[in-house]
Amino acid sequence: MTKVLIVDDAAFMRMTIKAMLQKNGFEIAGEAENGSDGLKKYRECHPDIVTMDITMPEMDGLQGLREIKKFDPNAKVVMVSAMGQEKMVMEAIMSGAKTFIVKPFKEEHVIETLKKIVAI
Amino acid sequence: MSSQYSGESMLEVYIFETSQNIEQLETVILSCEKTNGFTQEAVNEIFRMMHTIKGSSAMMLFNNISTLAHVMEDMFYFLREEKPQNIDDSALSDLVLGGVDFIKVELEKIKAGDTADGDATGQINAIKEFLDLLKQGNSVNAEKVMSTQADDNDHYYITPEVTDVHTGKNLFKANIFFEDGCEMENIRAYTVIHNIKDLSEEVFFIPEDILDNDNSIKYIREHGFTIYARTDKPYDEMNKFFMQTIFLKDLELVLLENDEELSRFTKPEPEKLRLESSPVKVPAVQVQGPQDYKELARANDHSSVQSIISVNVNKLDKLMDLMGEIVIAEAMVTQNPDLNGLKLDNFRKASNQLHKITGELQDMVMSIRMVPLSTTFHKMQRIIRDMSKKLNKEVELELTGEETEVDKNIIEHISDPLMHLVRNSLDHGIEAAADREASGKPRTGKITLEAKNAGSDVLIIVRDDGRGLNKEKILKKAVENNLFTKPQNEMTEKEIYNLIFLPGFSTKEAVSEFSGRGVGMDVVVKNIEAVGGSVSVDSVQGSGTSINLRIPLTLAIIDGMNISVGDSRYTIPITAIRESFRPNPKDLIEDPDGNEMIMVRGNCYPILRLHQFFRVNTNIMEFNKGILIMVEQDEKTTAIFADELLGQQQVVVKTLPNYIKNLKHISGLSGCTLLGDGNISLILDIAGLM
Repeated sequence: MTKVLIVDDAAFMRMTIKAMLQKNGFEIAGEAENGSDGLKKYRECHPDIVTMDITMPEMDGLQGLREIKKFDPNAKVVMVSAMGQEKMVMEAIMSGAKTFIVKPFKEEHVIETLKKIVAI
Repeated sequence: MSSQYSGESMLEVYIFETSQNIEQLETVILSCEKTNGFTQEAVNEIFRMMHTIKGSSAMMLFNNISTLAHVMEDMFYFLREEKPQNIDDSALSDLVLGGVDFIKVELEKIKAGDTADGDATGQINAIKEFLDLLKQGNSVNAEKVMSTQADDNDHYYITPEVTDVHTGKNLFKANIFFEDGCEMENIRAYTVIHNIKDLSEEVFFIPEDILDNDNSIKYIREHGFTIYARTDKPYDEMNKFFMQTIFLKDLELVLLENDEELSRFTKPEPEKLRLESSPVKVPAVQVQGPQDYKELARANDHSSVQSIISVNVNKLDKLMDLMGEIVIAEAMVTQNPDLNGLKLDNFRKASNQLHKITGELQDMVMSIRMVPLSTTFHKMQRIIRDMSKKLNKEVELELTGEETEVDKNIIEHISDPLMHLVRNSLDHGIEAAADREASGKPRTGKITLEAKNAGSDVLIIVRDDGRGLNKEKILKKAVENNLFTKPQNEMTEKEIYNLIFLPGFSTKEAVSEFSGRGVGMDVVVKNIEAVGGSVSVDSVQGSGTSINLRIPLTLAIIDGMNISVGDSRYTIPITAIRESFRPNPKDLIEDPDGNEMIMVRGNCYPILRLHQFFRVNTNIMEFNKGILIMVEQDEKTTAIFADELLGQQQVVVKTLPNYIKNLKHISGLSGCTLLGDGNISLILDIAGLM
């Protein structure tokens, strides 16, 4: 089963993503509330995929992505963004994020995205 | 953390988290207003919270909230990025607070199961206007406008250094359509270009300005994104690469025979671009210095020590209920009638141990439910702010002891009364600035909210330095409404002041928007009494009033003295009992109206026969056969007459079942409890008896 680490400061978003993933046969490796927490959890549970929110306190998703990439250059990180964050998303892509989803996202979009990322 | 929210619906978490964000937002704004200005940190925080609210609300399809949060996010984004000068802080707070209020109302609707159908257009437009003004004032958007107005070029080409060396390599043309609704098509196109660099050394694409031009999204949606790539990879591999594109709806990949189509890209002066660098100007990314790492480390430390979780209140209530059951069960075991007369040393030892542990467990459960008053207190900041603006008074609010903790259930009950009292103080108590100066007081009025522990109670004091209560006015009003319970000349000052708590009492002639609709202080008293508390007032004319709320720390478990009257059992809260004794017949007095009284150490106290009060049959009618229990509440003392004392015990307070409450009005009872022997005991409400 594909293990996913969910990084988001909003419990609601974590819960939403989690529910979508679990329904579709993904395993939740862990949850984190900010970038540094995300890195810590990544080291602990070695997920197959990370979903990473961009706007978070303490350490934002961009920095979190870079830290994870530093630790594991092959890490597969999907950014969770919102309209208006185009520049940040682009930076994320340049920093090695595999792709991104845009809030409010649809379940099938999320699932399709993650499945494709796993397959690569 | 992962199971933290299990069993709760998404909606609940949404409401909880959004309310929390909103509350925090309000605190941040108010504190900014106080310190005269939005700090960078505050702007960041507000931006982040708005972003979260926007995202979550959009997921839940609460579009009005999400749109409003979005424009506020935009505004704070602007503030964060451009750091404009000369912001009207007060107008800004008003705008944001207005938005916050809108979201609050919508959240309430959602909580109540209604549709969140509020119209935020007003707020949204106001914020947009404000933002426009800011932008004009700081003229920063000129550059942006320029860039978006760039002409509709659809050609773009990237020719690395190796431009001329393409012999023997294949030229592919791919046309990609993304799925509808995947958003940010231009960035997705960029992702493809970013990834293809591993396979191809020469890439051209249409439209060229995918990132700079907003129209590129429209173009990609309508015509697709076209890529020319020169590579030595075979068709299959290229096809596989493109098929991996996320949100790919349609792909058309052809191997071109010649470079004809490319010829249109060969402009006289081809712009050279390396794919590693971005085709757009992007603000420099913060480089992490050593200091940041330190911060990072601290954050790491913090998260590993962080040991706080949130728990659904229902679970805590359930835990409390179970705790109560254990207390009862313990009493049932250790005070079991079957044990009477048996000598059971080991059993006693074991049951003492059990008693000790249940006691500790109970303290722990209680402490979990304790919440500091600070949130409730901070809510008052907002009320003071709004009201003083409208009433044009200058008032500051001082909070002390806000860390004092009270049971969660009680907090919910005192929030409204407290709000009412604060409003009253501001509206009726604090004078207009000019009047204050005339009477030699500082211009700015002061309202103090104070909380402190007092035994098993918490004292909350609302104090103002306003004009104080007017005794003559109160008396006049009391005469008009016939509110006296005893002759006017016998009343102490305090008793006169306390008249304001009687139903229907309101001295202010002109009813204002905020207080005094005739449902004044008596409602406050009722609410406080409902949680077993009491209210009293102190006032000095000309220099201020203070209203004191005395509230029990917790509702659920109290120390009680069980007594019996006939076959009935009653429980008196220990804190109310001063002493109990069997009276000497010569101390008993009867006045001409037949009221019985007792002399104790030179003071005379009324006697209340419980069997008469509750109309219970008992054989013990003479004072020297029963027992008198002196109880005190609000500085009034009464001697309660009962058959006998049964013993002291912790009891779990249960409210009277509704069918009993509805059936008839019972005064003098605050609840009931279950005794160890299975009997039901009624808990006396001392204030209600007197």
